[in-house]
Amino acid sequence: MTHPGEITRRQLLRRIGLTAFAAGPGAGLLSACATAGTGGDPAPAPAVTLSADPKNPFGVDAKKPLEVVIFSGGYGDAYAKDLHEELYKKAFPGVTVKHTATQQIGTQLRPRFVAGDAPDVLNNSGPESMDLAALAAEGHLADLAPLFDAPSVDDPAKKVRDTVTPAVLDNAKINGKDLVLNYTVSHRALWYNAKLFASKGWQVPKTWAEFTALGDTAKQEGILLFAYPGLKGPYYQLWNVLYTAAKIGGNQVIIDIDNLVDNAWNAEPMKQAVTAWADIQAKYGDKAYFGLDHTQTQIKHLQNEVLFYPVGSWIENEMEKDKPQDFEYAIAPIPDVTAADKMPYGAIQVGVGENFVVAAKGKNPQGGLEYLRLMLSKEGARGFTEKTKNVTVVNGAAEGVDLPAGLKSAAKAQDAAGQNIITEARFEGWYKELFDYGTEQINVVMAGRITPEKFCANMQKKADAVKKDDSVAKQTRSQ
Amino acid sequence: MVRLRRYGFVAGFLVVPVALYSVFVISPYLQAFQLSLTSWNGYSSVVRYVGLDNFGRLLADGVFWQALRNHGLLLLVLPIVTIVIALFLSFLLNLGGGTRGAGMRGVWGSRFYRVVFFFPQVLAVAVVGVLFQAVYRPDEDGVLNGVLARLGAEPVGWLTEPGLALWSIIAVMVWQAVGFYVVLFSAGMAAIPKDYFEAAALDGAGRVRLFFSITLPLLRDTVQVGWIYLGIAAFDGFALIQVLAGDKGEPDGATTILPVTIYKTAFAYNKVGYASAMGVALFFLTVTFAVLTLRTIRREKVEL
Amino acid sequence: MTARDTGRPRLGVLNGLSHVALAVWALLIALPLLWTFLASFKTNTEIFGDPLQLPGAVRLDSWGRAWDKAHIGQYMLNTVVVVFFGTAGTMVFGSMAAYVLARYRFVGSRLIYYYFVAGLAFPVFLALGPLFFVVRQFGLLNSHVGLVLVYIAYSLPFTVFFLAAFFRTLPDAVAEAALIDGASHTRTFFQIMVPMARPGLISITIFNVLGQWNQYLLPLVLLAGDPDKWVITQGIAKISTLAGYEADWPGLFAALSMTILPVMIVYIVFQRQIQSGLSSGSLK
Repeated sequence: MTHPGEITRRQLLRRIGLTAFAAGPGAGLLSACATAGTGGDPAPAPAVTLSADPKNPFGVDAKKPLEVVIFSGGYGDAYAKDLHEELYKKAFPGVTVKHTATQQIGTQLRPRFVAGDAPDVLNNSGPESMDLAALAAEGHLADLAPLFDAPSVDDPAKKVRDTVTPAVLDNAKINGKDLVLNYTVSHRALWYNAKLFASKGWQVPKTWAEFTALGDTAKQEGILLFAYPGLKGPYYQLWNVLYTAAKIGGNQVIIDIDNLVDNAWNAEPMKQAVTAWADIQAKYGDKAYFGLDHTQTQIKHLQNEVLFYPVGSWIENEMEKDKPQDFEYAIAPIPDVTAADKMPYGAIQVGVGENFVVAAKGKNPQGGLEYLRLMLSKEGARGFTEKTKNVTVVNGAAEGVDLPAGLKSAAKAQDAAGQNIITEARFEGWYKELFDYGTEQINVVMAGRITPEKFCANMQKKADAVKKDDSVAKQTRSQ
Repeated sequence: MVRLRRYGFVAGFLVVPVALYSVFVISPYLQAFQLSLTSWNGYSSVVRYVGLDNFGRLLADGVFWQALRNHGLLLLVLPIVTIVIALFLSFLLNLGGGTRGAGMRGVWGSRFYRVVFFFPQVLAVAVVGVLFQAVYRPDEDGVLNGVLARLGAEPVGWLTEPGLALWSIIAVMVWQAVGFYVVLFSAGMAAIPKDYFEAAALDGAGRVRLFFSITLPLLRDTVQVGWIYLGIAAFDGFALIQVLAGDKGEPDGATTILPVTIYKTAFAYNKVGYASAMGVALFFLTVTFAVLTLRTIRREKVEL
Repeated sequence: MTARDTGRPRLGVLNGLSHVALAVWALLIALPLLWTFLASFKTNTEIFGDPLQLPGAVRLDSWGRAWDKAHIGQYMLNTVVVVFFGTAGTMVFGSMAAYVLARYRFVGSRLIYYYFVAGLAFPVFLALGPLFFVVRQFGLLNSHVGLVLVYIAYSLPFTVFFLAAFFRTLPDAVAEAALIDGASHTRTFFQIMVPMARPGLISITIFNVLGQWNQYLLPLVLLAGDPDKWVITQGIAKISTLAGYEADWPGLFAALSMTILPVMIVYIVFQRQIQSGLSSGSLK
């Protein structure tokens, strides 16, 4: 992990709009979670020349309608419908914008892409999200380099690429080209109720021994130490185990797995991580959660039936309606599993997410790029944060927005983590079959029906099969 | 002239249905058959033919065989259980009232029962799925486990125990299907002339004997129709499984049936070619199964 | 109860037992539905709390949300239109095809029959991709007309299969008499054979109405681009996914209740006709 040392933590936090509540020097770096490309290096020169007009750099034709398809999941679709699309209409009076919200991205849109009838802007997300690498291979995705090099809406002297967190530029790449815009920033680790801890006088455990000791204490109060949703949400636990493995053995563990390196799953840190969590489940877990989905589990969490829940910072907005007064979301890093963990206590996962793409062969790619440019304006990004209580990749856009407690806690944790940012597992997007198999196997191993060794062996077998399958396009990452 | 008129009539009656069916059903199916020989990923403009490779891979694919086993179980258990329960209930409804007075009557309230029994049929799969998620919830907040908890029993993981999950799902399908067959069989029973029963009852035959010696044989055709309906309903089970158990047929693939696997392979993994090959395999299995069933039925008919 | 039931004195006990059996099944059906209905008035916490508890108050706001978010009214209307024409078309074309295939001997009749029946053995969703392009070629994407035609086409295999069997069982004498009296084949079909086949037609109509009412995959792909034309199953799927993300479970149950109630009322109103329709035919 390299990180551009010239960016101070404060600058960075300001960039993502978290300065309101963080102060003091340091070197916490969002860019440290960069997972592909060359971390922080500038992207290649733009392939398309931009017009000189900073108001309309892509030469959008206001007569052409724009079609936007939004995955209507945790963020809903109001941010697009009531905000971003309105911004677009304001910029091009009289233009028509067609808005579709769906959960079945793949079923609905794959035929349309193949037929050359793709929507101009697509929020590719959810359980049926499409294989972007496959779409890219067919040239369906517009090059976003002109977008990154276009003048920003707020300050025409600045390029868009200089207004977003560097991880955006790294994660934009598929086979070396800028094709995907990641729009949100999220923090993943274990989430707990700060108010409960305060009232009981409990400390956040830093080592595995403290973690299990707290588990015993909580058990006496009828509270479960840890739970994850076995239905629909086992991938939260797969992430958790992968991040734990990275904490034990460093980010290379995940990078090797992503690169389908031989025996990557059989690495010792991976086995240790799975064993540690399977033990927690066996001693402190409840098998009922294998049959509960994420909402049900999260409600139980809100009811203080569960202490720690492995998820990302979007949880706060997701459960906003049901959150009682005496519940305050806070993030806890994964405790030290061994005394010799490669990453010190405090390491958390920070990443960018929520993919947006522009159809290259659509009817209005210029409009699509312009739409993304408006999303990346301060007004667009700030409005998103206000509507969804989630931070975007736009630097400083969240400044002044009253962020909820959980996000503040996440910012503090990131501050404390410094350079120890756990990387995300990208095989989730690259090799969906492997990831899906993992979400199934994690339940099996957590339920104790197979041993951790068997889990690793099974995953390795599947990874080998994917590696051999020449119908699956391969991706690699260097860091 | 007469023959010409006849042919004109036949052709006139067939042209629209055959055309609609050929265009919207057969032509896509043929394309799917063609895709089963390719490694198409659903996006690519270049379709690569791989011959019978996909079918070769099927033979070594554990998930496929597991799905096939579960599918077979479903095809066997769903019709049998549903038909037995439906026959039993419709017998009670129609003939359970005894033979006193003027012939056979239904029990008191039979009309009410028939209405209620039919209700689940009108529910969309999504509705049934959500409903039974609540019923089968694995903690004490589940409807079933809540009742168990009051009786002092431990909560059961209806959908999370590999040995139990498929049965729980079959139970839902039975729950939903029985009403339709009660109505169907009731209609059949109502059509049986009353004097058959009266004569038998005069001879001192009990109701159970009435059922096995008169009702059942005379209902044979209706029951066969029911069997075929249910065979098709088993196909549709995949949506229910996706909602209740998870889209991979969790736990451990214990609830995966072929349509679940095919759907996942095609839509989540973008292996349209391979998924089509599974579909083709399923097609031939179903055809074989159907031919065997028809053979058996026909033989029985000859014996009659 | 099976072994001991010879002789009449036990009738009272037996009657009691059959009532118990029937009542138990009725409860098994009714309770979950009642639970759905009640859950629409509960809060999330109540829904995930004790399942046997009644809602704390009658809260109607979830019904309002469901109506707005799931567009139940619009989708219901769309569905009624599509299912009405879909089923009507299926019955007309299906019975016509089944009739000639069952009762006329001509070259290729067996072949056409099996051609139809083969459609039963292949999973529909594998055809989805190619079907999209076929429908698109006819310019029928995102249109109810297109969906109706596709519904008809996909309902034909079973309809033909079932009705052909049914037409075969009808006595020949009546049709022959009509033909001798000079009625045309078409008239014989519509005026003589169709009324005779009424029980079969009614039962397959119910089957088709239910099947098309619950159809989800076909509209999902064929109406993808135009949410105003969606059908009720798409609305339910939408709100049930939303319930997962926004944790609006009462809204989901309200939407479910809204879709269940009208169908139940229709069934209760017509159940007499359905019952008598099914039983009016003579035993085959």
